[in-house]
Amino acid sequence: MHLGDFSRPRLAAGCRWAGEGENRMLVFPEGALRLQGTARAILERCDGSRTFVQIVQELETAYSGSDAAKVRQDAIAFLERLQQKRLVDF
Amino acid sequence: MLDTPLALIAEITHRCPLHCVYCSNPLQMVSPPSELSTREWETVFEQGAKLGMLHVHLSGGEPLAREDLTQLVSCAHGCGLYTNLITSGIGLSERRWDELVAAGLDHIQLSFQDSREAGANWIAGTRAHAVKLENALMIRRSGVAFTINIVVHRQNVDHLEEMIALAESLQPERLEIAHVQYYGWAIKNREGLLPSRTQVLESLEKISAAQRRLLGTMQIDAVIPDYYARFPKACMGGWGRRQLLIDPCGTVLPCHAASVIPGLQFENVRDHSLEWIWCESASFQKFRGEDWMAEPCRSCDRRIQDFGGCRCQAFMITGDATATDPVCSLAPAHGLIEQQLLRVNSIASPGKPAIEQEEFWSYRSQPK
Repeated sequence: MHLGDFSRPRLAAGCRWAGEGENRMLVFPEGALRLQGTARAILERCDGSRTFVQIVQELETAYSGSDAAKVRQDAIAFLERLQQKRLVDF
Repeated sequence: MLDTPLALIAEITHRCPLHCVYCSNPLQMVSPPSELSTREWETVFEQGAKLGMLHVHLSGGEPLAREDLTQLVSCAHGCGLYTNLITSGIGLSERRWDELVAAGLDHIQLSFQDSREAGANWIAGTRAHAVKLENALMIRRSGVAFTINIVVHRQNVDHLEEMIALAESLQPERLEIAHVQYYGWAIKNREGLLPSRTQVLESLEKISAAQRRLLGTMQIDAVIPDYYARFPKACMGGWGRRQLLIDPCGTVLPCHAASVIPGLQFENVRDHSLEWIWCESASFQKFRGEDWMAEPCRSCDRRIQDFGGCRCQAFMITGDATATDPVCSLAPAHGLIEQQLLRVNSIASPGKPAIEQEEFWSYRSQPK
């Protein structure tokens, strides 16, 4: 599935956050992921109400100085990969 | 530094309405009167969460056979644990399902024995298939994360595509296709369950074709049969490294089968804290790390990936729990596996008539 600018990505059923601070993990049926940096920043914004465009804009603000086109490309690849694993829906 | 356990497999009862010939429960099952009480399980979940565990897999037997299941889910959820119900679906009503969801159930894994009703009911030793289909529809309607599990073997793997199609029609997020692992009741029935090499190779092709076709729709996880692998599986992610299992009466084990290994004293949550059992008990330290390893594991580069394979399988097949898992092509005892495979692969038609011969099979019994 392709992520569009106006898709509203969200965690899939059975995926949720657990733990606090550095120990915050994404937990899902058979495992867990400890995410850091931009990956975590992206996923924490996938609440089903923000559009993909909004998420990217917020990241550009939060990580000013980074290459905007690359941030966007990486975010697409990341979210599409998680969708294939049925961890994210959009 | 010792890692904290990530997941707890809570075998809350060995009671089960099904009698599957490949059940992973031990042959000696825990009798219902000695099962842990609701309060005892709650203490276990509280301790587990404090230790840093993330998941609790509520399993059995059939976990729905315990009337307090909703209460157990509610407690585990309240402790912050991710709750996964591993079930045959027998005993699930609309009301009970709603209660479990309201109690905070995160995920359900529903087993199917086959796509064909007669074969499914034969494997389970009871008429469960139609009930499972009904329950699958109810589960899907609720929107709770849903995995279907299908166990495959010599008797059903030839119509794997039909089983994948059944799963697709029920629309779970995930399908787990698990070749039988030879523990518990399965090893008693190995002769009729172990697939031929051709069956295994065909099944792997069918699985990867389905994975490509269903990418993004239904995630397919596959458990391959280790008898045909070149290297052993990293059983449970290593002995006492990632997960632990608590049986219905509170005995804490590193895996489903560990009680077959003689000379090990497994501790009970009624006598010790979970933390002490994980960190200090002799049974959990027995095969941790590398000191116990013999050659060829001791000097093998793969020892940090597969930890020498499965200790229980090593014991069951070679009589020595410290031996290299005999499924490993480098194991001194690998010949024992090869002999088994040679016999299975020399049977022209893969054991088809066996299904009809009831005396051929050992059905899982009920705990007394």
